[in-house]
Amino acid sequence: MSSYKFKGHEIQGAGLGLRSSHYQEIFDTKPDVPWFELLSDNYMSDGGLPIIRAEKIREDYPVTLHGVGMSLGSTDPLNTDYLSKLKALTDRIEPTYVSDHIAWVSVGGKYTHDLLPLPYTEETLHHISDRISQVQEFLGRKILVENPSSYMTFDSTDMTEAEFIKGITQRTDCDLLLDINNIYVSAVNHDFDPYEYLKGIPSDRVKEIHLAGYEKMDNYLFDTHGYQVHPPVWDLYRAALKQFGAIPTLIEWDTDVPSFTTLRQEAKKAEQQLKAFS
Amino acid sequence: MNLKEWQEAFYKGIFDPTQENIQHACHGVNGTENLSSEDRLGIYRGSILGGITSGLTGIFPVCEKLVGEQYFTQMVSGYLKQYPSGSPDLGNYGEHLPAYISEFEPAKELVYLPDVAQLEWLWHTAFNATDINELSSLPFRPVSELAAIQPEDQALIQFCLNPSASLMQSNFPVHQIWGVNQEDFEGEQTVNLDDGGVNLIVWRSQDFGMRIDVLNDDELKFLTAIQKGKLFADIAGMTFSLPISELLPPYIQMGLIAGFNLGKQ
Repeated sequence: MSSYKFKGHEIQGAGLGLRSSHYQEIFDTKPDVPWFELLSDNYMSDGGLPIIRAEKIREDYPVTLHGVGMSLGSTDPLNTDYLSKLKALTDRIEPTYVSDHIAWVSVGGKYTHDLLPLPYTEETLHHISDRISQVQEFLGRKILVENPSSYMTFDSTDMTEAEFIKGITQRTDCDLLLDINNIYVSAVNHDFDPYEYLKGIPSDRVKEIHLAGYEKMDNYLFDTHGYQVHPPVWDLYRAALKQFGAIPTLIEWDTDVPSFTTLRQEAKKAEQQLKAFS
Repeated sequence: MNLKEWQEAFYKGIFDPTQENIQHACHGVNGTENLSSEDRLGIYRGSILGGITSGLTGIFPVCEKLVGEQYFTQMVSGYLKQYPSGSPDLGNYGEHLPAYISEFEPAKELVYLPDVAQLEWLWHTAFNATDINELSSLPFRPVSELAAIQPEDQALIQFCLNPSASLMQSNFPVHQIWGVNQEDFEGEQTVNLDDGGVNLIVWRSQDFGMRIDVLNDDELKFLTAIQKGKLFADIAGMTFSLPISELLPPYIQMGLIAGFNLGKQ
């Protein structure tokens, strides 16, 4: 039986990614933040300070868990040790959502700790859908899967990313975490129309949105999560809200993490947009 | 090439980027005028190595500071090739870095570097070690139950160290090197390597206080015997400059000895 003040069913508004440099300020000031997203992989140790802090945050806020370790697109067997730890964490933290990426991270038991691209084919669709279903069964709950940013496409690909994602939701009944920055980054890198992409996403599946800042390199956009959200991403975000409604939105800022105040200012911009569409 | 074969080829193209491996990894990858397929693989290589290097810098900040960012990155790149990461948690990666550094030819002159890396790894593992209060079943009985042990059973007591604790020995004053390179360090920055070796225990106390304690040879001998699970009768038979009745209580009081089991004769 949950003892948390906020039960894990509904979140709304603009949440923040929880980063260790902000713990103290959050504990001291109990800021008015609608929810926090925790990087699940950081809280899977058997003990130690991280999990204690996570529980302390959970006492005052709803949380979501977001990870990079499921390696859903890998051809390795699913890592049941990882999934067991994740299940234990979800039992303990009672998150509203658990999410990971449409990507692969490991092969041959070796981990790259990065989100790697997949060819969008019938074979891959079958493969990843099967694994998502297994994960959902193991965890005993639906998960959200997120569209990755990418720098590579394949000549074997025979469907768009949006078609691939739609196929996944149809086969697995999972929900979606739509990363608007990733759509924009991939659209520039692979020269497609991000607004057309949005139209292909099944509206009833989008439960959470991510926003982040990319870095402009010479010949491509690089998804660093180290900047403020750029204007074309805000534009695309407004189009997404128009299509999907006021979906709970998270600002991700993982490298060169700014002050908590700066992060909150960025979230307030998203909050204003959300109000216009709620 | 099926998906599994391509993923294996991609991995090799990232971590062992010979021309042949790169070509293999780029099989079926679309290139454009602005970015060839090799360029695109290179973006992933930079992203992967950058991410892992950043993770290891977080665990080994003093090593990185001592050798500089460029050198550290080069070292990590070689380490990755020799010791792939086997866990989805980047926080589990780095255990073998001290061993790798000791074999890393360009670092041979920094004789103390492997031990600094070892100290940083022990700090990292102590920080994340299981809190005794969190264990659903303790691997030992609490010290509060010691009083209930019958005199005839006392010889069978096996004391247990706090689960976060690790012992290490170095031929160099690594704790000083570590200390002066902490961000909040104030005082004399110079460390004299001629100060000689040191015995250390790295652990986390019940109130989450991280500790690095210096041990004399007797204390190391005593705590090593405990760590090895020796019976109290055997430890009592060892020679120390202090009687055990003086050696033992402070460790129990500070929580470094966290419990005990009863062994077999």
